[in-house]
Amino acid sequence: MELQDRLDELRADGLGVAAISYDPPDVLADFAERRGISFSLLSDDDSATIAAFGLLNTVAEEGLGPNGDDPTVKADVERYVSLLGPSPRIVGTPFPGTFLIDRQGRVTARFFEEFYRERNTTASIMLRLGTNMNPVAGLKGSTAHLEITAHQSDAEIAVGSHLTLALDIDPKPGMHVYAPGADDLGYQVVGLTISPEPFVQLLPLQYPSSEIYHFEPLDERVPVYQKPFTLIQEVVIEATEEAEEALHGVDVVSLTGRLDYQACDAEICFEPVSIPLSWTLTLSTLDRQRAKRP
Amino acid sequence: MKQLLLTLVVLVLLPVFQANAQQPRSPIDISALGPQVGEIVPDFSLPDQDGRVWTRDSIMGPNGALLLFHRSADW
Repeated sequence: MELQDRLDELRADGLGVAAISYDPPDVLADFAERRGISFSLLSDDDSATIAAFGLLNTVAEEGLGPNGDDPTVKADVERYVSLLGPSPRIVGTPFPGTFLIDRQGRVTARFFEEFYRERNTTASIMLRLGTNMNPVAGLKGSTAHLEITAHQSDAEIAVGSHLTLALDIDPKPGMHVYAPGADDLGYQVVGLTISPEPFVQLLPLQYPSSEIYHFEPLDERVPVYQKPFTLIQEVVIEATEEAEEALHGVDVVSLTGRLDYQACDAEICFEPVSIPLSWTLTLSTLDRQRAKRP
Repeated sequence: MKQLLLTLVVLVLLPVFQANAQQPRSPIDISALGPQVGEIVPDFSLPDQDGRVWTRDSIMGPNGALLLFHRSADW
């Protein structure tokens, strides 16, 4: 289990870790033993806590009820219950997801999926949160204007994985590149473009907040990055049956893209630059091992 | 009199049935479900795989906690 692999890093970051499901304690004990799980697997076997959180998967029950033939219910069952149709064993389960909470119990971040077969990897969540972790060692590069490190949350992924590619960019002294909003003033905003691949969904590129640069000669105030910053690209490996079939036997998914930017210092704006980038993701088959029935 | 009463009951209940029948099914919006950023999550008291009981406060590390909801460890 990937969460177990990240446990030391999460704890080093001062986070407690617990997972809630409707499984009875003996099933959790069996699972923990087989997988070497050392964090708390909490048993909410009447789903009361799941319901109190407002996370009960109501579609599971709806799919089995009188509205089960309603096309919108059927579509939701495929999305949130099972591609195989409604099943009594899903009743009582939550919509799966992850909360980060502070010591007062206040939510600081939350990660939920729109399709039951997809899940955020823990490393992907940590990379997006800027948690102190060891991402997969990245490729470093350098131009006249920037230092660049491309890395990724996970080296090994599976169908349904929701992972993160990150690009750390460190402008050289005196340099700045343009942030979203600068395009209104005619400047080229720094951008990461990943080439489309079948069965790979790319979410919108995420930019950090920028600062305003006052360009005195024109009295322009432009959003820029001058300090080190990170561009975040979330990627979902589709988990449809079609995707699973097509990716069966595929060992490696390569994503290629490019970083485009225009850098300027206090005097000169340099020609726009385009840098090719690539990420390699190793695909593993889904772990479908189940608990033994007593 | 009985007839009138029955009619009244039907008249009173009819709009209720109609309202139920016509109420459009609201689509699931995962992002709106459960506690949102800034909100306090409900407290709980649940046993773990070793029978030890944990609460919202006891799972905390010095900087808070990661709390995962998953479908099942069994399938």
